[in-house]
Amino acid sequence: MKLFPNLILSGTLLAVALGAPIQPAQADPARDAIIAQLKAQAGVSSFSAARGKKFFHAKHAGGKPETPSCTTCHTNDPRNFGKTRVGKVIDPMAVSRNPQRFTDPKKVAKWFRRNCKTVLGRECTAQEKGDILTYLSSI
Amino acid sequence: MQLKCPVPTNQTTTANEPMPLTDRNMTTRPVWDLFIRSFHWLLVTVITIGAVTGFILGPTWLRMHLIAGTIAVALVVARIIWGFSGGSFARFAGFVAGPRETLRHLAELRRASAPRHVGHNPAGGWMILFLLGMILLLAITGTTVLGGVFKTGPLGFAVSYDLGSAVNKIHKLLAWGLLGLIALHVAGAVYESLRTRENLPLTMVTGRKQARPGDHLPPARAAHPRTAALIMLAGGALGTVIGLVLAQKPVPHLPITPLDPTYAQECGDCHIPFHPSLMSAHRWRMLMASLDSHFGEDASLDEETRKKLEDWMVAHAAETVDTKPAHVFAQADSKNPISLTATPFWKNTHKAIPDKVFKSKPVYARTNCAACHKDAETGMFYPSNIEIPAEAQK
Repeated sequence: MKLFPNLILSGTLLAVALGAPIQPAQADPARDAIIAQLKAQAGVSSFSAARGKKFFHAKHAGGKPETPSCTTCHTNDPRNFGKTRVGKVIDPMAVSRNPQRFTDPKKVAKWFRRNCKTVLGRECTAQEKGDILTYLSSI
Repeated sequence: MQLKCPVPTNQTTTANEPMPLTDRNMTTRPVWDLFIRSFHWLLVTVITIGAVTGFILGPTWLRMHLIAGTIAVALVVARIIWGFSGGSFARFAGFVAGPRETLRHLAELRRASAPRHVGHNPAGGWMILFLLGMILLLAITGTTVLGGVFKTGPLGFAVSYDLGSAVNKIHKLLAWGLLGLIALHVAGAVYESLRTRENLPLTMVTGRKQARPGDHLPPARAAHPRTAALIMLAGGALGTVIGLVLAQKPVPHLPITPLDPTYAQECGDCHIPFHPSLMSAHRWRMLMASLDSHFGEDASLDEETRKKLEDWMVAHAAETVDTKPAHVFAQADSKNPISLTATPFWKNTHKAIPDKVFKSKPVYARTNCAACHKDAETGMFYPSNIEIPAEAQK
């Protein structure tokens, strides 16, 4: 366990040293398709990263009291590793740190369904989902 | 200890002065040969290790317990071979007395008229047989427990959990019995040391005992160390080969391995993927029917995946295996039947572990079995694979 943060740190230092700055967002056709579909569902032409950020960090009511916010498990910085309520490590949500994020539509649907119910006590709207994905793709 | 009596010259001993039993000119004779002495103290060592690991240190020391037990059996078997091929004092024929002779010896002890036996006296001789027999019985029952409960060792292929678990109770009783015999053996050695005024435990180091007039000696017999060594080596080799061959035989009703990849992925996203053999099919069905409120979380799955996983879990549930976890977790908590940590067995075996260990960073939650049980994903939970992380104990 101790080795792990050191590996990440040295990996980051190596990336910086090699002059390979971490891209804020990497385009991916699968992710673009998911966002496009959410746009169609929400009936909007664009999503807002700022609104997504606010939603991600907000404390919500209506869900389980143990999990009032996305940050409960994903931490205040989506670029960090998170932790489930029983201690399992969650890979970073930020696309810059985890390019695999939001490329599997089934997985995206599953986790929005589960986590929105747990945190808000309801399903998220297409607008909310789109804003969150836009936010997490931008950092 | 030698008594420093002045050698009588002109003096005459008076009637009420006891005859000195030892003096400077007392000669000694070899009694306990090198094999007997090495055997004795090695056995003391491994039986101590076996008792400490078995009674005090507990299951996490199982490997050490098995090593001690295996060496003890090898020593006892070698001693039995030596009992038919060693010298006068080593031979069973030289010290195993019949019931009549034994009773006579005990009666003479009571009347304080028993002769001094240079080798084992009749009571001591029987004690040797009881000790050797008890250790062999411990080895047989121990191997049965290892096979039935832990599904390994030479009898893993043949013994069911139920049989192994029942024999475990006998193994424990025999272990107490062995401790009792050892206490009697030591008491006998101390008593005989005082009675004959010779430090008997020390003679088991030096091998020599005083030669006194009137000593009771076994019939003289020549030792055959080469023949004995050959038989011991051949027996040891044969025993090892048989043990290894039997241990290689496939063990029936073991937990499925590896885990289904979808199961490992879907369930392992949030917690360790618990092995399906840890709960009955009925309890897995209950769990899979309530995924939308799964221990306070929404863990719902699409119906296709849910059904696929449930079928796989049921196909490899506790009923299909014969491991200890599958049996001990069968007794569920009535209020929380789908929780493993709520079962009486879980609570009982983990009660000595402080709360801070479970809350520590590397463990984090009681459900994180794999933090300490390195083989949690296999469903085996072998005691030797328990390792509480050092960080968790700070």
